[in-house]
Amino acid sequence: MASILRQITKTLRTSSNRNVVACNFARFQSTETSSAQAPVETRPTVRKSDPMQRTQLKDFGKYVADCLPKFIQKVQLTAGNELELLIAPEGVLPVLQFLKDHHNCQFENLADIAGMDVPSRPNRFEVIYNILSLRFNSRIRVKTYTDELTPIESCNNIYKAANWYEREIWDMYGVFFANHPDLRRILTDYGFEGHPFRKDFPLSGYVEVRYDDEKKRVVVEPLELAQEFRKFELAAPWEQFPKFRPALASVEEVKTDKKE
Amino acid sequence: MAQQTVRQTIKQVKPILSLDKEEARKRVVSLYKAWFRQLPYIVKQYDMPKSVEQLRDRLREEFNKHQDIKDVRIVDMLVIKGQMELMETVNMWKQKGHMMAYFKDTWEPKPKDFLSKFLSGKD
Amino acid sequence: MSGAVKRATGLTGLAVATNPHKALGTLYGKILRTLQKMPEHAAYRKHTEAIIKERSEILTTTPAVEEVEKKINCGQIEEVIVQAENELVLSRKMLTWKPWEPLVNQPPPSQWRWPPAQAVQQR
Repeated sequence: MASILRQITKTLRTSSNRNVVACNFARFQSTETSSAQAPVETRPTVRKSDPMQRTQLKDFGKYVADCLPKFIQKVQLTAGNELELLIAPEGVLPVLQFLKDHHNCQFENLADIAGMDVPSRPNRFEVIYNILSLRFNSRIRVKTYTDELTPIESCNNIYKAANWYEREIWDMYGVFFANHPDLRRILTDYGFEGHPFRKDFPLSGYVEVRYDDEKKRVVVEPLELAQEFRKFELAAPWEQFPKFRPALASVEEVKTDKKE
Repeated sequence: MAQQTVRQTIKQVKPILSLDKEEARKRVVSLYKAWFRQLPYIVKQYDMPKSVEQLRDRLREEFNKHQDIKDVRIVDMLVIKGQMELMETVNMWKQKGHMMAYFKDTWEPKPKDFLSKFLSGKD
Repeated sequence: MSGAVKRATGLTGLAVATNPHKALGTLYGKILRTLQKMPEHAAYRKHTEAIIKERSEILTTTPAVEEVEKKINCGQIEEVIVQAENELVLSRKMLTWKPWEPLVNQPPPSQWRWPPAQAVQQR
């Protein structure tokens, strides 16, 4: 099994960089082209799907889920050939350490830690780690969830780059990172109250700041806008893609053998 | 009409810093003491046109605002934020405007009786 | 001897290894001994043992460093040593984390649904 994986990883490394046309790329492929008489398109605007890459990524996803069944809840493959591991919040450190240190993974580079707020869920925040392997030229995404009051382990000991990213997520969302060396605000002003990226924080905030000439200092006051906020409902009453009605799945789940 | 008692749902959660109410109380008290001892230096360093007594009253007000909170994790989060604010104050990263903003002296009070609300045009 | 000794790896902070066979051999031995402590059915143990045994076979059969690098096909020998050190640290941590056990907790039912459910139906 390992030799097959070495083969896969060798082909991943030796294959040439697929230059993706960045701007012109549609997620949905029309079902009509499966008919026989399709002429050869010389100026395609649709990204060619690469089944080889997809199977390689799926195999890798199964491999990781096989090695770490305790923490990985789901493995997904998006339409743009991006592998995502959805894990329980207890498993942040083991999974990231595995992806960084294991021979077949070697994802040494942390590109980004992003946060997401979905207020309708009980665990409203999602923390998303994007990591990159230079040796095998591939990326992977690790997603966890938490709510406002549950801390997540800081991965600063694994990736030093996580320091400022976690500070940003603390500042913007209010997600506390346990064992972080220096968790404090990074983007908001010093006396700022609130966490701006949360969905219930209004677009123009609660306070405004101005210089007061009598007091000769900057003064913080409640917000007063000249025009009241206008919200436009831009949804059309008609269904947009009736032919593609079964949910346009942009994400495909990778089946992993789960032992119940 | 049957009286329904409010059942407090207890569920297992991951603690942030304190495990029980006693520990949380100790953290709150030590944070209060740290701020209290820093207040005279704050007045001098930030050149605030306030007396130390006024700052002490303000400090007590801030801590009394949250005196009824039962959840230990919320208390922990508030203590953590208070410690961050203290760090910013002690290291002089804040400025006079930030310190004076605690007093909200330029905030106009909201109109309470009918006539003032009518005159200001807000409901 | 097998030609000119390597002067530098070309990578900052990575010195040329003086006795790579010995270093790698000891590291692979330590990793295998750590893996022995894990249960037999653990997939991590199976895969890692296969990788390590393959590499140590290449190591023992090939005395020349250049050829070892080519056969393992994972960068220079110094990088291979770093990978082995990482794997050792990882396997020791895995003994505490025990990742071969079944799932520690299931996600709440609507956690990973995308797009998230609409609270109010779109008219």
